[in-house]
Amino acid sequence: MKLNKVLLFMIIAAFAVIMAACGTDKNKEEENSSSDNNSSADATGKEDQEKTATLEGSVSIDGSGTVYPLMARIAEEYMTSEQENVSVEVSRAGTSAGFKKFLVENGTDFNDASRQIKDEEAAEAEKLGIEVKELKVALDGLTFVINKDNDWAKEMTPEQLISIFLADGGVEKWSDINPEWPDEKINAMGPNENHGTYEFFYEKILDKQDMNSSVNLQQEYSTLVKLVSEDKNGIAFFGFGYYVNNKDKLQAVHVDFGNGPVEPALETIAEDGDYADFTRPVFTYLNVDHAKEKPQVLDYAIYVMNNINQFAGETGFAPIPEDQVKDNVSFLEGLK
Amino acid sequence: MQLSNQAPMMKRMKFRIRANKFAKFLFMLSAFFGLGVLAVLFYQVFSQGFQFINWQFLTGKLSTQPERAGIMGAILGTFWLMLVVAPVTMFLGVGTAIFLEMYAKKGRLVGLIQTNIANLAGVPSIVYGILGLTVFVRLLDLGSVVLAGGLTMSLLILPIVIVASQEAIRAIPSQMSEGSYGLGATKWQTIQRIILPAALPGILTGAILSLSRAIGETAPLVVIGIPALLIPFPGGILDRFTVLPMQIYYWTLDSSLVAEYANLASATIIVLLITLFMLNSSAIIIRNKFQKNY
Repeated sequence: MKLNKVLLFMIIAAFAVIMAACGTDKNKEEENSSSDNNSSADATGKEDQEKTATLEGSVSIDGSGTVYPLMARIAEEYMTSEQENVSVEVSRAGTSAGFKKFLVENGTDFNDASRQIKDEEAAEAEKLGIEVKELKVALDGLTFVINKDNDWAKEMTPEQLISIFLADGGVEKWSDINPEWPDEKINAMGPNENHGTYEFFYEKILDKQDMNSSVNLQQEYSTLVKLVSEDKNGIAFFGFGYYVNNKDKLQAVHVDFGNGPVEPALETIAEDGDYADFTRPVFTYLNVDHAKEKPQVLDYAIYVMNNINQFAGETGFAPIPEDQVKDNVSFLEGLK
Repeated sequence: MQLSNQAPMMKRMKFRIRANKFAKFLFMLSAFFGLGVLAVLFYQVFSQGFQFINWQFLTGKLSTQPERAGIMGAILGTFWLMLVVAPVTMFLGVGTAIFLEMYAKKGRLVGLIQTNIANLAGVPSIVYGILGLTVFVRLLDLGSVVLAGGLTMSLLILPIVIVASQEAIRAIPSQMSEGSYGLGATKWQTIQRIILPAALPGILTGAILSLSRAIGETAPLVVIGIPALLIPFPGGILDRFTVLPMQIYYWTLDSSLVAEYANLASATIIVLLITLFMLNSSAIIIRNKFQKNY
């Protein structure tokens, strides 16, 4: 008796699963058949947009965790106010891990990157015959943060900052930088090798010199925020977005590039801004073949470029110059 | 009249009595330690998250903006995942247990299988994630859909279900099956009519407890590649999906970007805990209600 009931339940459950599976298959077929009609996102933004056609299907995005907040914000806006039936899936495995999912057969449509594509990654794309388009989406300022109670190191030069993190920088205590500063050990921290931010710091700021092995490298930015906010002698570096959202817990080091101390802010990290030496562009890489095959991917790419600067500031990035946006939009429009 | 001289006796026993008291206190402390931690967790999670649970949060779609975010997608994802995991693990797990206990001849091969199952139960869940990624997502080219996630989770909890089912089958007195054979029943008839009904409470308890482990597991799904932002609801087992613990994971990580995400994570933890409690208590009810003593 009881056994029969359980068996019955299991059979019903199995049927439900099978039926659901069939249902989805049908949906997929409909998607495919109805996705040939194209739509164009209006180049002037979303105010005066008349939808020419509704698109369906999915757009898959993976890559950098630094760029994620910006891309997720745009994806959500696209799905709520533009194309409700398109599912934009945003992941964030990290720049390098993302490229591994991007540069395969039937890979992701976009890969966000907090650094430029590496030569070996570009070679891999060529080998697979994948045409990749680099789209610069925003600017991020590398920000050095210190504890709120730190009242001595509020202003530093790039050389001083770098010496803290270098293996042979000769700096262990604050007093090694400036004799007037406390005779206490500096606790330097940063994101670990999985992060594009680390690679940028190591390659562009440290110029590939060995990093001090005492630097505490962490996987999560939230850990860094917590550590520095609790340690008077702590100093860490990460993207501007993480500082701007934790201004109540941390303060940013004003960097003196030679013309007086500059505070990292949306205006200063912009292209040709006063903080430009510590500023890096962030990208998303588009699989051009996917954009040609799937109208929703192309439509989304155009939407991203048209609205990128509107959402950049909100998520802690500086906007990119309009002419660069225009160049990318006209390239994308050319794919139609 | 005094039977014994208490004073010297107490003097000699004093240390032993003290040691006894100390031991009792020590073990009581360890028993209450877990409970205490649970209470702290409850207090923290409920005080932080309870106010954020409302209809909109429970039925809404995911969002990057905390005030608009809802977890219906994750709830449905968990539901679909279980709809894959439950039948697959029940069938494979109970099937394996029946084979090992009823059909297989005790020998080297069975011993080998047995040892491996025990070993598999100790394999870290992230390893299963890698297995799922290689086999289901890549090799079978399913993509990061409910079916791939469900099959991976099934593999993860399969050893537990097998062991629990084996224990349940073994606990049935041999007279019962021997009686059945004596009446001329075949093995399958015996399994069907005697063994399974008697072992069912034990099997179900093990299955439900392992299901609740699957519901709370994140590591394999992180490897398989669950999107951090997935707004449409999953409508079947071939759709991409997210689940409650993944959402807790992402929101906790991102709370350094948007502080309110921590509240959403707390609220999601409450929802997940309630789901788990319901599952686990149903396991206890089943056990108490159907358990027979022979």
